[in-house]
Amino acid sequence: MQVWTKLFAKSPFKPLIKHADVVLSTVETLEKALQYWYEGNYEEMEKVAIEVDRLEDVADRIKEEIRDSLSSKLMMAVAREDVLIYLHMQDKVADAAEDTAKWLLIKKPDGVPTEVKDIILQMGMESIKAAKLVHEAIVQMDRVIESGFTEGEIKREYEIIRGIESVENKIDGLDTRLMQLVFENADKLSWGDGFYILNIARTLSNISDKAKDAAERIRLMMNK
Amino acid sequence: MDVWLLITVVLGFSMAWAIGANDAANSMSTAVGAKAITPKQAVIIAGILEFAGAYFFGKSVTETIRKGILDPTMITDPNVLVYGSVAALLAATIWLIIATKFGLPVSTTHSIVGGIAGYGIVYAGTAIVNWSKMAQVVLSWILSPIIGAIMAYFIFKAFTKSIFERKDPVRSARIWSPFWIGLAFVVIGTMFYIKVLHGKDLKTGVLMYGVPLGIIVFLITYLLIKLRFPSSDPFIGVEAIFRKAQVVTSAYVALAHGANDVANAIGPVAAVYAVASMGMAGMKVPVPRWILAMGGLGIAVGVATYGYRVMETVGKKITELTNTRGFTIDFSAATVVLAASWLGLPISTTHTVVGAVIGIGLARGVKAINKNIVRDIIISWFVTVPVAGLISAAIFKVFMIVG
Repeated sequence: MQVWTKLFAKSPFKPLIKHADVVLSTVETLEKALQYWYEGNYEEMEKVAIEVDRLEDVADRIKEEIRDSLSSKLMMAVAREDVLIYLHMQDKVADAAEDTAKWLLIKKPDGVPTEVKDIILQMGMESIKAAKLVHEAIVQMDRVIESGFTEGEIKREYEIIRGIESVENKIDGLDTRLMQLVFENADKLSWGDGFYILNIARTLSNISDKAKDAAERIRLMMNK
Repeated sequence: MDVWLLITVVLGFSMAWAIGANDAANSMSTAVGAKAITPKQAVIIAGILEFAGAYFFGKSVTETIRKGILDPTMITDPNVLVYGSVAALLAATIWLIIATKFGLPVSTTHSIVGGIAGYGIVYAGTAIVNWSKMAQVVLSWILSPIIGAIMAYFIFKAFTKSIFERKDPVRSARIWSPFWIGLAFVVIGTMFYIKVLHGKDLKTGVLMYGVPLGIIVFLITYLLIKLRFPSSDPFIGVEAIFRKAQVVTSAYVALAHGANDVANAIGPVAAVYAVASMGMAGMKVPVPRWILAMGGLGIAVGVATYGYRVMETVGKKITELTNTRGFTIDFSAATVVLAASWLGLPISTTHTVVGAVIGIGLARGVKAINKNIVRDIIISWFVTVPVAGLISAAIFKVFMIVG
């Protein structure tokens, strides 16, 4: 009897998907916070931003659990390192969302021009797309294994990865545009406002950066 | 003498019971784990097919256990055979209990072979052991998981190529699942010709019995598997087809297990019965059918009384196994085990199944397998025979002094 209970270890993919679920809701919650921030509803924003922090903690806990369960004694369909690094990157997505939330809470956005706010909101919306695609990518990876690494499923996975890359590209563009705007309006903004805006933008673009890194890892899992 | 016969029969029956309760239940657990059958259905399938396998196909391996390992002509005193058989049975039981405590995946088969060699060597020195047979048997232990792994690897690869990579996987699965089931029946049909009808020519067996039976079964299964799946996901459809197909392969496993493992319990009983009824001349007579039936019955009773619980627990633990994988494991392992019992080689069903699982793992088909199990199995290869042999030797010595 022990042979059987020992033989099959738990697949890391279901917990990875669970982790992706939490990461996605972290980013979605951040987007909600950005919305309130945009509307100038500081009290509501604060509540939601704290929720982002809480969700990031949940993601951390799942991450720890997965790490503990991935013994080096396992024989898996994908390399253990790839799973661990992927998990790390996926977790960084939530970390970046938490960083953004922290910056939002630093001060009231009174001096921020509307056109800057517009771009930040747009970046937030694109970040959700990135997080959603990461979630899709890990679900699809599970399917790739389920199918025994068939070409059709691998192709579908590559499409998702390309989607993540294009979102990242778009956010990069928005980020550059935002930096330009800050310097164009340099005389209208205090140094504090400038610092504040640029850091929100940097942490926001981090979300899609890490999403891209995660996608990169999935690519490696398939090429083993 | 009659008392000793009774003791061996009781011991043999208990051993058969234990095999049914544990090993048989384990062999079915891939099917239970993949939700192809419920534990209750598994008990019914295992009960019937373990018996059938033992009764119809169990003879060759029993003969190997009874008189293949030791040279019976070197035993002149019938008491030696009686004491030895009881010692071997007891030693195997004791070692199995110890190994279970330490979580080692030891095999009943290996233990009983060790036990027999043990008392033989104490009685007449190493010369009594039929070393060429022994080497063959030991080699078969190492080869059976490896062949199981290679087979499972290629069958799984064939699955991906012929089913998953197709435009319509469900349609492909509908054609290919009866094909593999048909193939299983080619093996069963051939075995039937050789074992039950005592055919000699393998080619005749394959062409006249195996292939026609396989084709008939292919057609029946093809007609039985309907293309009605509410799910839009083709993979769920494929798994659903193989869930049905796995009912058949799990029966195939039970049949193969019965054929190979019944010998562990009744090989010694057959030896004692032979000398009890006819003296040393009895060793020349083949194993009587009723002893095979008794072994099969013991296994079936074991499955029915305790196997249910084992299957339920193990089935709950194996949650990561899908039906295509379960089917591949069952098919590969059962084919290897049946082939081994045709050759009269007592191998370990459990180790062969583990080999098949590893094979799928190598084909990247299972998400996570514990590699330690391979180490444990290799340890058990080296430990079981000497330890069971020593225990048996000690018990035998005591019997000789007391008796």
